[in-house]
Amino acid sequence: MSPDLAIVVAAVALPFVVAALTPVLFRVLGEGTGFAGTAVALTSFGLLATQYGREGAVALPWVPSRNIALQFYVDGWALLFALLACGIGALIFSYSPAYMHGESGLVRYYAALLAFMGSIVGVALAADLIAIFLFWELTSLASFVLIGYYTADDSSQYAARMAMFITVGGGLFLLVGLLLLSVVAGDVLGPGAAFDLAAMLENPDEMQGALRDRGLFLPVLGLLAIGAGTKSAQVPLHFWLPNAMAAPTPVSAFLHSATMVKVGVYFVGRTRPLLVSAEWLFLFASLGLTTMTVCAILAVASTDIKELLAYSTASHLGLMIAGFGFTSVYGAEAGVFHLLNHALFKAALFLVAGIVAHEAGTREIDELGGLRRDLPITAAITTVVALSMAGIPPFNGFYSKELLFEAAVEASHHHDIGILGWLYPAVAVFGSIFTVLYSLKFLSLFFGERPEGLDHVHRPPVSLLVPPAVLALLAAFVSVDPQRAVDLIVQSGLEATAVDPHEMHVGIPTSYSPALGMSAVTIGVGLLAYPTYGRLHDGIRAIPRTVPQVGANWWYDTVVDGLSDEGRRFAETVHNGMLRTYATWTLGATCALALAGFVAAGAIEPTALGIKATVPIALVLLVAVIGAVAVVTSDSHIAGVLTLSILGFMVAIFYILASAPDLALTQLVVETLVLLIFLLVIEEIPEYYEVGIGRVARDAVLSVAVGATAFVTVLVTTDARPDGPTEIARGYAEQAVPRGGGTNIVNVTLVDFRGFDTLGELAVVALAAISILTLIVMRGRDEGRIGPRGEDRPDDPAGARSDGDPSGGDDE
Amino acid sequence: MTGVVLAAAIGALFALGTFLLLRRDLIRVVWGLAIISQAANVYLLTMGGIAPATADSVPVLAGRGEHVPVTADPLVQALVLTAIVIGFGMTAFALVLSYRVYEEHDTLDVTELGDRE
Repeated sequence: MSPDLAIVVAAVALPFVVAALTPVLFRVLGEGTGFAGTAVALTSFGLLATQYGREGAVALPWVPSRNIALQFYVDGWALLFALLACGIGALIFSYSPAYMHGESGLVRYYAALLAFMGSIVGVALAADLIAIFLFWELTSLASFVLIGYYTADDSSQYAARMAMFITVGGGLFLLVGLLLLSVVAGDVLGPGAAFDLAAMLENPDEMQGALRDRGLFLPVLGLLAIGAGTKSAQVPLHFWLPNAMAAPTPVSAFLHSATMVKVGVYFVGRTRPLLVSAEWLFLFASLGLTTMTVCAILAVASTDIKELLAYSTASHLGLMIAGFGFTSVYGAEAGVFHLLNHALFKAALFLVAGIVAHEAGTREIDELGGLRRDLPITAAITTVVALSMAGIPPFNGFYSKELLFEAAVEASHHHDIGILGWLYPAVAVFGSIFTVLYSLKFLSLFFGERPEGLDHVHRPPVSLLVPPAVLALLAAFVSVDPQRAVDLIVQSGLEATAVDPHEMHVGIPTSYSPALGMSAVTIGVGLLAYPTYGRLHDGIRAIPRTVPQVGANWWYDTVVDGLSDEGRRFAETVHNGMLRTYATWTLGATCALALAGFVAAGAIEPTALGIKATVPIALVLLVAVIGAVAVVTSDSHIAGVLTLSILGFMVAIFYILASAPDLALTQLVVETLVLLIFLLVIEEIPEYYEVGIGRVARDAVLSVAVGATAFVTVLVTTDARPDGPTEIARGYAEQAVPRGGGTNIVNVTLVDFRGFDTLGELAVVALAAISILTLIVMRGRDEGRIGPRGEDRPDDPAGARSDGDPSGGDDE
Repeated sequence: MTGVVLAAAIGALFALGTFLLLRRDLIRVVWGLAIISQAANVYLLTMGGIAPATADSVPVLAGRGEHVPVTADPLVQALVLTAIVIGFGMTAFALVLSYRVYEEHDTLDVTELGDRE
């Protein structure tokens, strides 16, 4: 059954519409706007839920001439992600009013959050490559606004810029990849399907074959991987995510754990059937497992609870990427199931971190402990979700991690990958040990002894407790009956991402398997190593202190600072406030580019001259040049103005001789006016202006270069001109009387055929006239007001003003 | 041969305009702008092909009856006409701006003005 276009569009559009209305809503509801957001999220959730079980594409025409449509594709995978976004969105919106109580800029906060939710639903459902890219970048933009929420805080601004730079930059790679994909799809599936991802997914073999034939398979794979890797914080571009924790905690829970950072994972899952291959396995399994391990180690080194959760998020994103990287069906199972599990436990953990920070007033791990007596409900929630994060049976995280282990073991069965067949499972276990360690550390905030320095911890309000409790209950539900969750939503997501989907079964293992052994090793070693946590923590922290180059952040700072310094230095050279510098660069570059263009096209060659000028024309122009020479050599302003007029009038005569009487008339009028204005202005400025001659030689070289360029281009282009009147010229000549009703073709062209161009021209002249009037009149008004104050300003010589102005005022 | 003279004249106008554009006296810079825009107009018209001035080549059809003769390219002329008027607006604006700059800063030296920024 195909989905209903109206419902899908409404689910995507509603958050955007309400985002635009947020200022009005905020005026009415105040801080309660968050609950309006909950209503929006639930409405979108409900709308999407009606599409449950449906599959297919629906399209809203957008740019029909280029075959771009606002196309949506509904299937299990898209619905899983979109429903997750709306569901967690609803909880975040209900959590926000209490958490953000008393903050300023809440209109911006809620508007960005709503727009973000709309974009994430859009990216989940979009099937048109252009629409996917737009929604993708919109989520990055919303993330930028929300990370930089505390505008007065430098570190928050730094983090927002970094996230923007990395994710939007990665988005550009994605765009190139998508365009390459569309070029190939246009050839293989017909131009109508050039941007249609749904059509590509229906013909994965042809698409992959065509990509390989053109040698574009690896470039496309790499570009998409960079796009997804930046968005989903994969090593080595993971560092923006911990920095993004400068955002308010609800934002971290929503964007930077449950949804936005999963867009990359989601897209990897989406394109998996299209691109899956041995290269795919190497790339994504290696990338994912590296990220999983490196970020789990970094999480152990964290000192701040949000930092710990951020690294842990990156680590789990690595797990999902690795899952999708493995080509067996277990890989897809691990990816899809963990996407759901991670959203449930990690969003809850962030909300718990928000409660701890809000009520205890600190996020430092060392300063926290024994919170279970103050926050009993929070402690219960944390127990469920932290153990789930650690992958301890029977909690839900355990099942998806088992699937990953299984896929890692299976990898060597499907492809001949040599030593990697051993390395992948080993790395997966190694990374997971650290996951157990930091999960236990997080849990220990609530157990053990209460540190001395910890102040009184308040009870959190109910609205802060309900959202994480709902998530923990859901996690518990999945833990108790994983098969039901699988049947409900995971299976349909699996069918969209796996190559050869089968009936998926999860549950507590009853017999030994390699994956079970790996889980046992992970948990056992994790528990044994936990007492040494402090030493591990210090040891890992010591590494970047001694060798800063090991940290990706160091590279980011070095590159970005280096670029800004270089940019500043370059700007100071090129943009130095000197008009002559600008003129030199502009003219020099224009000449070089123009000549290079002619040379590249092979158009510079000695040929017969295409122009036939009569002797009078040559003579008149010679006089004009002599006039120009006189302008250059004139030593007073008045002489220059008069000789400039000689030039102008000679050009007018040239127009007459070139059969252009209208131009001659205009030129005469304009020249007269220019002379008048010059004479009026010259009255007000010194007759002679003594300034140093400057660098004549250099200027002469540039002038000769410009002149030579003009000379050469006239010679070579007039030759290339087609014989006889052009089609447009003939058309205008023939249509002037019948359609324009005038016999002067130039006039008819100006006022009739190209009337709008003339309107634009008139607008320019009117603008110039208004500006001139303003420049002259405003001066007079200002004088009256600042005149008395002018004496107080020593840097503004009052004498200079009184010399020039009275006469100026009289004349105008 | 006269064609080369025409091209050379256009080149010379551009060169002289550029030279003025690089001077330190703001008024001379405005002159440079004016000369360059004049030169560009002549350049454009030349590109469209120069028809020797005869009664037939003028793009005015009055008194010709049904017969539409081959005239000089009217489109180029319309374009240049627009360019002349825009050039006028630009020159006038630049000139008044220079006048105002002189009033405000008491100097017309571009280098000195640049240093103040």
